[in-house]
Amino acid sequence: MSASVNVVLRVRDLRVAYAGNQAVDLKSLDVGQGEVVGVVGANGAGKSTLVNALAGWSRGAPRVTGEVALGGQRVDGRPTHERIRSGLLLVPEGRLVFGRMNVEDNLSTAFSPLAAPGRKVYTRDEIYELFPRLKERRHHLGSQLSGGERQMLGIGRALMMGPRVLLLDEPSIGLAPKLVQQVLDTMRTLARSGLSILLVEQNVRAALEVVDRLLLLERGRVVLEGPAAQVGNDPRIAQAYLGVATA
Amino acid sequence: MTSQRLQHIALPLVGLGVFVAPAAFGGTGSVYSAAVLIAIFAVMAYGLDVIVSDLGEVSLAHTVFFAVGSYTTAWLSTKAGAGAWVTLGASIAVVLIFAAFIGLVTLRLREFVFSLVTYAVAVVAMSVASNWAFLGGSDGIRGIPMLDLSIAGLPLTARNDGELWPYAFALLAITIYVVDRFRHSRLGAAAIMTHLNPRLATMSGIDPARVRLQVFLVSAPISAAAGWLYAYQRAYVSADVLENYFLILMLTAVVLMGRRQLLGPLAATALVLMQEKFFSLGGYVDKIVLGSVLVLVLAFFPQGLMGLMRPLRRIAQRRAPSQTVITTVENPK
Amino acid sequence: MNLTQQLINGIVLGHAFALVAIGWTLLLGVARLVNFGHGQMYMLGAFVTWWAVVKAGVPYVLAVPIAMAIGALFGLVMQRVMLKATFEQNLVSIMIMTLGFGYVLHGGAALVFGSTGQILDTALSRNDITIGDLWFTWQDAAIVIAAIVVFVGLKWVLDGTRVGRLVRMVAEDPKLAMLAGVNVRRVYYGVFAFEGAAVAFAAGMVAPRTPILTSMGFEEVIMTFVVVVLGGIGSVTGSYVAGVALGLFTALFGALVSPAYTSAAAFLVLIAVLVLRPRGLSAGPAAGAH
Repeated sequence: MSASVNVVLRVRDLRVAYAGNQAVDLKSLDVGQGEVVGVVGANGAGKSTLVNALAGWSRGAPRVTGEVALGGQRVDGRPTHERIRSGLLLVPEGRLVFGRMNVEDNLSTAFSPLAAPGRKVYTRDEIYELFPRLKERRHHLGSQLSGGERQMLGIGRALMMGPRVLLLDEPSIGLAPKLVQQVLDTMRTLARSGLSILLVEQNVRAALEVVDRLLLLERGRVVLEGPAAQVGNDPRIAQAYLGVATA
Repeated sequence: MTSQRLQHIALPLVGLGVFVAPAAFGGTGSVYSAAVLIAIFAVMAYGLDVIVSDLGEVSLAHTVFFAVGSYTTAWLSTKAGAGAWVTLGASIAVVLIFAAFIGLVTLRLREFVFSLVTYAVAVVAMSVASNWAFLGGSDGIRGIPMLDLSIAGLPLTARNDGELWPYAFALLAITIYVVDRFRHSRLGAAAIMTHLNPRLATMSGIDPARVRLQVFLVSAPISAAAGWLYAYQRAYVSADVLENYFLILMLTAVVLMGRRQLLGPLAATALVLMQEKFFSLGGYVDKIVLGSVLVLVLAFFPQGLMGLMRPLRRIAQRRAPSQTVITTVENPK
Repeated sequence: MNLTQQLINGIVLGHAFALVAIGWTLLLGVARLVNFGHGQMYMLGAFVTWWAVVKAGVPYVLAVPIAMAIGALFGLVMQRVMLKATFEQNLVSIMIMTLGFGYVLHGGAALVFGSTGQILDTALSRNDITIGDLWFTWQDAAIVIAAIVVFVGLKWVLDGTRVGRLVRMVAEDPKLAMLAGVNVRRVYYGVFAFEGAAVAFAAGMVAPRTPILTSMGFEEVIMTFVVVVLGGIGSVTGSYVAGVALGLFTALFGALVSPAYTSAAAFLVLIAVLVLRPRGLSAGPAAGAH
């Protein structure tokens, strides 16, 4: 476990089941204050299903059971928009911006919670400082932004909603290496300022650069867990991606 | 494949049972009349069933197809003295023109625009039928002769509902056979694929718009044939064949039992008509009941009444209720 | 035929069409929901207003809000029953359910209000305004004014207020709106209640012009459909323009050709437009994929 004592996100026995098929079966997951936890795994391992379920949303109509607690308070059973307002923020994969609104308006769509301990609510100017590119393009429509700019916008809007935990679903997908680096650097900065991050990534190498702890997901279950330095070179990770079943 | 074998034995038996049912229930005029109407309206509903259950879209124009069958038959038999076979053929031909027109116009439109267009067609048809002197205006066309399908010296006529029943039954049986064949055909498979996953269907070389047009063209004659027989049954046709009642009845017939059940529309039509004929609460209350049934089934029992039976059936087969099967690395299946 | 008189008729009729269609504009544009019970809800609004004024002696100014409240309530009930289907975006079920609701309303209204035609007379409809050769009633003027006020008001709310922005977010992407903390369910309820209140308001204003029957409503749906699609789905300005244009067309067609087939003619115009330009005449802002 990490050195942080303060557990911000606590998940126990999270199960997502589609008609006889267990998409996610997570026994336990803790994310501490300022910790960056990575979830990696091959395609279809259940990573997206996991973070979507944490945000209270699932594609189709599966059975979702388990405990999810944010800052000590249970949020499972509460609808998505309430979890968002409590500070459990998800930046989804792909669906990031309101294409028909410009950058400024997209950022304005973020509702503003009251600031609280452990909950920094970023202002629009702070987002522009963090992502100067967004400031340059602030009058452009969401649909006119590039992939990297959309990612920044998605993260920026989430930050304006005062996250206690930020769930990121494959932020590096489709991005050029330089942009991937930029996203990772941003994450490191945010974590250092106390934000807890759960990062879902297919790109293990990228994830390893920024996470404190890593989980390997295979068919919905955690098959490997530990500090990044320790687990990073574990051959099981490569095997999971190449599809070789572990013993 | 015992369920397949079961179907091959059960279906003819059920058919025989249905055929003798009116006689078994007393064989009176009103029983035969109810039976004939159930058969006719069920056939009308099967036309819609193909579009809603298989293709997954809502066509509100099938009342028009039904009306086209009725009006074509009425007009040709009274004004041109045409025989029953000719009117049947003409009904199908005319309805195909209508269906082709509607289908082509809506070819590239989104689903709900398609539904809206079909709804508008029905409303416009109602106003045209009520006002156009050619179709008899608000009085309609009267004096349709009795059904006479005699060929080559073999007399095949029907003077009343009792004699009409074998023909109604035959039409019903043929319709069910056609629907079954359709579901096992390539077009039927294409329809289902388009319904469930249009993008995947396109990537399998299927053009969803063309499939919709083709299914539309297959479904229209079915409802038109029902209209054809209805004209003979009632002996007159007026704009009230375009009333909303038929639409709501068809839709209820399609969803009440559950989607894509071969005998579903028949069973549902029978239930609704029997309620109306034998347990009626008055015209307006019946409307409220029928509309409510339609809403409640879709809102709370989307799998239809058969969906309620599923858990019971599973218990009967001594299988455990759906359990999450955990297939993981540690527990390969 | 006095051309100017027909133009005035057309303008009044057009504003009436636009007013009747405004609930659909929002419903279709925001929630992607089709309400086939729209015509029957219009009928309900007309009859509640009639009953309140003629049978219960309530002043017209109060009767219309009563009809609106009942309309909004019915809209809420509909949305509550259809909630699951709405979230699953199960359009087939929703369309059929709204048809069922409409049928229930028809039966219920016939039961309560009877099946004979009624005339809703108001102080406004009984008083004419004559300018030279032309005449129209104060009710007609009220319809035009009301339509303009409602349209301007709605546009202002959608573009300039926080609530309007929430609605636009849900219109574009309900899932993303959820992730931005919007209570999408509440927005859907609101939009359906608006549809109920708006169509009832339109009925209260427009019904005095012609006799009302519990079997009515179908032509209103066609006209609404034509207005909304021609104007570009979801476009408030588009619906207004299309409504007035349709009104002028209907008045002229009715005077020049035949009053009985005006809805058929309007429908054919729509078909022509759909064939030539499947997205409607104006590329409306919310004319996106669903």
